[in-house]
Amino acid sequence: MSVMPDPVISDSPELESALEQYLGSGEDRAKHFGALCTILKKVIKAGRFDPAAAAIRRVVSPEMDYTSTQTLVRLFHSCRWKCAPSAQKTRLAVLSSFTSNQLTQMLELFLFAAGVDLELYEADYGVFRQEIIEPGSRLYEFKPRTILIATTWRDLTHWPAIGDNAASVDTHVASEQREWSSLWQTAHDRLGCQLIQNNFDQPLWRQLGNHEMRHPASRSQFVAKVNQSFQNSAPPYVTIHDIDGLSAWLGRRQWGDDRFFHHAKLPCAPECLVHYAHSLASILIAQIGLSKKCLVLDLDNTIWGGVIGDDGLGGIRLGQGDAEGEGFLAFQRYVQKLRERGVILAVCSKNTDSIAREAFLKHPEMVLKIDDIACFVANWQDKAANIRTIAKELNIGLNSLVFLDDNPAERAIVRRLAPEVAVPEVTGDPLDFVDALERHRYFQLVILGREDLQRTDYYRANAERKQTESSAQNIDEFLQSLDMTAQIGPINEMSLERSAQLINKSNQFNLTTIRRSAAEVSTITHDPKWLTRTVSLKDRFGDNGLISVLLAKIEGKSLDIDTWLMSCRVLKRNVEKLLLNDICKFAMSRGLERITAKYIPTEKNALVKDHYTDLGFTEIHRESTGECRYELKLADFKPAETFIKAVETT
Amino acid sequence: MSDIRPDLQEVFRHVFGEGELILRDEMTADDIDGWDSMMTINLMIAIEKKFRIKFAAAEIAGIKADGQNIGTLIQLIQKKTNRQS
Repeated sequence: MSVMPDPVISDSPELESALEQYLGSGEDRAKHFGALCTILKKVIKAGRFDPAAAAIRRVVSPEMDYTSTQTLVRLFHSCRWKCAPSAQKTRLAVLSSFTSNQLTQMLELFLFAAGVDLELYEADYGVFRQEIIEPGSRLYEFKPRTILIATTWRDLTHWPAIGDNAASVDTHVASEQREWSSLWQTAHDRLGCQLIQNNFDQPLWRQLGNHEMRHPASRSQFVAKVNQSFQNSAPPYVTIHDIDGLSAWLGRRQWGDDRFFHHAKLPCAPECLVHYAHSLASILIAQIGLSKKCLVLDLDNTIWGGVIGDDGLGGIRLGQGDAEGEGFLAFQRYVQKLRERGVILAVCSKNTDSIAREAFLKHPEMVLKIDDIACFVANWQDKAANIRTIAKELNIGLNSLVFLDDNPAERAIVRRLAPEVAVPEVTGDPLDFVDALERHRYFQLVILGREDLQRTDYYRANAERKQTESSAQNIDEFLQSLDMTAQIGPINEMSLERSAQLINKSNQFNLTTIRRSAAEVSTITHDPKWLTRTVSLKDRFGDNGLISVLLAKIEGKSLDIDTWLMSCRVLKRNVEKLLLNDICKFAMSRGLERITAKYIPTEKNALVKDHYTDLGFTEIHRESTGECRYELKLADFKPAETFIKAVETT
Repeated sequence: MSDIRPDLQEVFRHVFGEGELILRDEMTADDIDGWDSMMTINLMIAIEKKFRIKFAAAEIAGIKADGQNIGTLIQLIQKKTNRQS
């Protein structure tokens, strides 16, 4: 049986049952929080830090109030250094203009919940400019992977005067932009790191009342214009954190409770800090490539009202005319928008397959079409097992899935038997489904690429390719029939973001899983010792976009492959052979004698363990960890036939 | 006409994570373990929520001042809720 409960927590039955009770109690969670904390404290006191840590990870949620989050922060602190380290870590410097302790503590908690340990440097408040400008500051000693510049509207310094005209306001905006750009550039030049820069929250009060947004020199206009300028001018290494959007979402009147600014220099009302920290965490998580990828939907009472098997096609509630039907319609429209930006959709329903599909094919009000669903599972088996099947078929990890189901019993079984899957607690109201997915920021995005917009098309095209494959006589014939053209060339300005995205996200076809920020990749592209290659692939079913990245370094007479990764969408298409042909040609033109490479095993990359031997490399060293080094003598190399037409780019 | 003390004690226990904590009028911030400036904020937020009241910025800042203790905090909350013990 492949379905197993969380092994760490199930060692503590008392903790496990308190956790299940808490997670399953919907809007009443607050009532069960005290009891859960009492047991957590007991478990920590008994020195069982790993079950405590595992439970804390599952409890943490942006739905908690400030007081409960603080309680959890304290419990987390009492086991943080004693439990096993998380799968990932990230190094962050926080430079802020306000008291940031509460914010960073909660940020650390949210990251921990996502399996990321935070190594933190927190500068004293108010000195963010000095920290960046002074080359000997502790910031530069710390060498972060990311810098967060946490500012508020109070840090704007070029306010126009109320009588200024529009042109004069624009020069103020430009002066403001210049100062911030210069800070970003200085930090980036010295550290080559990513930056997260807050935009500016609109101040709560309006001098000009309703006329505020009309007058060119009003405060609100100025803040809006600077924010617009930030979005337009920020280079790829700067992510703008939209706290103006966040404060509006939470309610500016609640956000702008200045009592805590005057008392303790907090940037917003304490209750809002929870969401502030979660929003930041979601961005860091997205940068590491751990955002969720796939939304798994139940059908009955989740995307339509009623039960299709009982009520029939005409009996389910969906569409205009009544509030319930419109609610489900609104939810489907929301989900359709998620799909459009690259979230993969799957269905996991207890239903007879043909009946469930019929609704997609025949119901006139369905917004979601059968083609929108990358994996459709409707049967009578348990949902945890079905969800594992979905993850397998889509070739993604269980921790990339969000499971949405109106039925608390189904949610409970998935939480218990597939604990890696995110399962939001929802009421039965489809409008709450939208809010749940929004408030958890599961699908946070830092870059939207062309590939994201076409993702479901790839999956559909893949299914068609599989059919072609079965009808073709042999594999060569099949590959020929695909009519493939590859664009192959170095990483350039246009491909930098997508390359960095792949470097930080690819797990399976990734030989070394070395992560690098866009800034680090950019540095490599300018280093003559390094060779960078990207491959984009088209075939007669469509454009796959940029699907492979290779980084290699010239060392003496060798070309050493540091990074080789590929999207699993294009497995078994000879792209790897094409790329090897290409780099061998390069190495020979430089008079090199061999290509060297290594494979570093991870939990996810077993797929490529024989990659180099399959390509004709010789194994030269193997460590007990499974890490392997390979060599290919260029004298022995013969280019392989790939059936791909290659076009060189610059 | 109800005593707010049990409710307030519940808030303190929750905020400080001390299930056994007993509040007495003469107790000051110094008598409660871990009551630092961050805890003051945590406490005020929790009290505001529990009793549906709102403190002024100066009242938040004054909660740990000389001469202030649990007794004066109870009076302040009662004044705001118009409840009497």
